[in-house]
Amino acid sequence: MLFNSYVFIFAFLPVVLIGYFALNKAANANISKLWLFACSLFFYSFWNINYLPLILLSIFVNFYLSNLLQVKEKDSTRKLLFWTGIGFNLGLLGFFKYADFFFYNVNFIFSTDLQYLRFLLPLGISFFTLQQVAYLVDVYEKIASKSKFIDYALFVSFFPQLIAGPIVHYSEMMPQFESKENKRFSSKSFSLGIYIFIVGLFKKVILADTFSEWANFGFAPDADLHFFHAWGTSLSYMFQLYFDFSGYSDMAIGLGHMMNIKLPENFNSPFKARNIVDFWSRWHITLTNFITTYVFTPLVRIMPKMSFGFMMLSSFLAMTVAGIWHGAGWTFVIYGMWHGAGIVCTHNIKRKKIKLPYWFSWFVTFNFVNLSFIMFRATEVSHAINMYKGMLGLNGISFPKGILSIDKIKSMGMEVSHYMTNDENMNLLLIIVGIIICLKSKNSMQIMKDFEPTPKLAFKASFMFVLCIFGLNKLSEFIYFNF
Amino acid sequence: MDKAQVMEKQTQILRDIFDSPELEVTEETSANDVDGWDSITHMQVIATLEKEFKIRFALGELQSLKNVGEMASLILKKI
Repeated sequence: MLFNSYVFIFAFLPVVLIGYFALNKAANANISKLWLFACSLFFYSFWNINYLPLILLSIFVNFYLSNLLQVKEKDSTRKLLFWTGIGFNLGLLGFFKYADFFFYNVNFIFSTDLQYLRFLLPLGISFFTLQQVAYLVDVYEKIASKSKFIDYALFVSFFPQLIAGPIVHYSEMMPQFESKENKRFSSKSFSLGIYIFIVGLFKKVILADTFSEWANFGFAPDADLHFFHAWGTSLSYMFQLYFDFSGYSDMAIGLGHMMNIKLPENFNSPFKARNIVDFWSRWHITLTNFITTYVFTPLVRIMPKMSFGFMMLSSFLAMTVAGIWHGAGWTFVIYGMWHGAGIVCTHNIKRKKIKLPYWFSWFVTFNFVNLSFIMFRATEVSHAINMYKGMLGLNGISFPKGILSIDKIKSMGMEVSHYMTNDENMNLLLIIVGIIICLKSKNSMQIMKDFEPTPKLAFKASFMFVLCIFGLNKLSEFIYFNF
Repeated sequence: MDKAQVMEKQTQILRDIFDSPELEVTEETSANDVDGWDSITHMQVIATLEKEFKIRFALGELQSLKNVGEMASLILKKI
């Protein structure tokens, strides 16, 4: 189920909330948690029920193994259990997400003809796998206390963050599910939740979906990528991705607040970053934290010695893993290595104590990220290269009317979109709006900090909400659902 | 060893790593307050502390170490 759909906003959500608070009052806490768990599974299955057994299996196996880990004392037994768990999680992810990519490479290198599995990627598998791996590691290292099944199941499946994050750590979620205080309806938290949800909805429906028209057009296989179009397309995608994903995170955080559950922040004005290390401390923060803790650190520890060079190697490898986590394809491998290289450069510049002018470092970082997103978006490496060529002006620097000519669009049987006929002025205007929003306006975290419910704010939120509701009839998926 | 002694050693280690002999360290000092305290130097800090106190931090503990005070309490628990 999508957050930006009528069925979610007007049917699912009200039923979940009323049921949750009613059960909190009438029944014991476990019943209301069970209710949330059931609702989350319904939310998950609404899309495709075939993968419901998969997520349930993942929850049961992980819970069972971690419980065994809690009680066993012998080191060798614990080690075996731990690696069984890691193997199970990575195996599940590998089988459903990476098998075909592996076969593709084997076929390519050895000229074999392995059959592809062609699975539809199970929704949210990358996210719920990470969260459970973190739990398993912490149980193994004896810093996670024993949990009740319902708390664990809810930590993994809690519908606001189930499908695309923020990636949550059990240590920040389970105490919140346990807390009696949180069970009581709080009008302040609820109104904050509604407001942040609307902000996120607005980012998604009004901003991201508008940019996406431009981005999709430019990334179409036969798009004619002249200089301006290529830049317009790549910048449009950059803003689409940000508003799409941060909008989703805001909605998730808002939904959490409606139920008195605080989800961690995931974005903090990433396009203000002035180097790549800074960028990753602002972009998809919960992923950065996971990668730092559970990939980078163990890598540093297994290196022969703790030198600057080996730490750089660990950073680079960790970012490559982060890239591959996003998807099975060479574009994602390159995307990860790209940012790994960016991080290595940043640390070297810092180490040499080179001070770069403020706007220069911002400009370089902004473009570095923009260029990397092209690799991220492209379906094949060659498509990305074609876009780079366009941006360098190698495909010509003319100023055509639209990305494809109107006749061509019609001949392909597609409708001519309002924006496309209005040539690139509209696109340019939108990009300027995007830049202003990203650099000058308050981000959602600041909005939440300063939140004070007033009639004026209620009016503003209602206005935004109505705009979004009108925009909902064109349903679109979130980009991060594919990961 | 008490907390003050742990803090004293911590301060010395931080001053060495960040190459700033004047660095003022209190319980509230966090990575944000110290110029150059990023993921790389954090690893150096952790490794040096582990060696100094002959302890080992769990992976899940490293990110939640918000400030020097919390770090000192954790070290005390481990030695």
